[in-house]
Amino acid sequence: MAEENAMDPIHQFVIKPIVSLHPFGIDASFTNASLFMMIVVLSAAALMLLGTQSRALVPSRLQSLAEMAYQFVASTVHMAGGHDGMRFFPFVFTLFLFVLFCNLIGLVPYTFSVTSQITVTAALALLVIGIVIVYGLLHNGTRFLKLFVPSGVPVALMPLLVPIEIISFLSRPVSLSVRLFANMLAGHITLKVMGGFVVSLLGAGAFSVLAPLPFAMTIVLTAFELLVAVLQAYVFAILTCVYLNDAVHPGH
Amino acid sequence: MTERGRRQDQNRQQQKPEQDPRQDQSRERDDEGLRARLDKLSNALDAQREAATSSDVAKTEQDGASARATATAMALAIRILSEFVAAVIVGALIGWGIDRVAGTTPAFLIIFLLMGAAAGFWNVYRIAMKPPGSAS
Repeated sequence: MAEENAMDPIHQFVIKPIVSLHPFGIDASFTNASLFMMIVVLSAAALMLLGTQSRALVPSRLQSLAEMAYQFVASTVHMAGGHDGMRFFPFVFTLFLFVLFCNLIGLVPYTFSVTSQITVTAALALLVIGIVIVYGLLHNGTRFLKLFVPSGVPVALMPLLVPIEIISFLSRPVSLSVRLFANMLAGHITLKVMGGFVVSLLGAGAFSVLAPLPFAMTIVLTAFELLVAVLQAYVFAILTCVYLNDAVHPGH
Repeated sequence: MTERGRRQDQNRQQQKPEQDPRQDQSRERDDEGLRARLDKLSNALDAQREAATSSDVAKTEQDGASARATATAMALAIRILSEFVAAVIVGALIGWGIDRVAGTTPAFLIIFLLMGAAAGFWNVYRIAMKPPGSAS
């Protein structure tokens, strides 16, 4: 966020290479996005490792935070997938912590929010759907394809309903990735625009008396974005559970 | 009704006035005790409720609950919207792709756009038919 771009709400999403790497003509530079992904992974790992180190009966703050996250995701996975779904718990928990930390760290000023890049969220969503398809086919074989055949429907309607079910299935990764990406992008742009109003009103002579209004709005929006950050991580995790449940128990 | 039965009935009726005053007294005593206890309990309850509403902890808890309700409602709204839009987009992309390969430009785009809209409604219906808390 350079000074000359202080008013540009999109500029915060620009990916800048930190270490330029071009092996075999592929741009594999270490960028600010990579840096913040590493920070996210390290801080999530630090929370769990440090939090579970003491294993006190009366937990410290860090330990109870780690335990709360664990409990929360474990109950979510169990609720959506039952006992069979629990084998996906490590995956869902990792995904949840990654998205949550990306969202939360992205809210700190001067940081980069990784989840506001659609490539990142699309990669996560494709990973989820890929696991659903691969595990569903390995575990259930052709029974997995029953997912696309609604039960209790006359055969005459099948040519119409099967494509609709397939489109509905294919729309899952799209909605999963776009939802997270759009929420983070829109939130950060709104915050930036509101912050920009404060600055431009302060420099507008007599109108500077109005500056506290967008400033108050910025505070409200920051709290709101905090809520959205946690909520979207939760929604991402719970929908992952729902989709994985389809792989474990096809034929709804 | 037999002769004996009628006599027993009369006996019972005669005995009733003798027993009633005692029963009434004991019942009144019970009622008084009960009323006193109820008063005490409701006073305690009122006091507790007053303390709870005045304390900040309860207030933030209430705020938290309402915020959580708003949050879940919003999450559901965003979910429904995104699933609907995503299905339409996917349908359009499939139709466009088939058209490009087969060279039948608007035909499959139109068909799959409609199918995408249908899939979107189907997505929304599936979400709406489940209670929002159950999640599966």
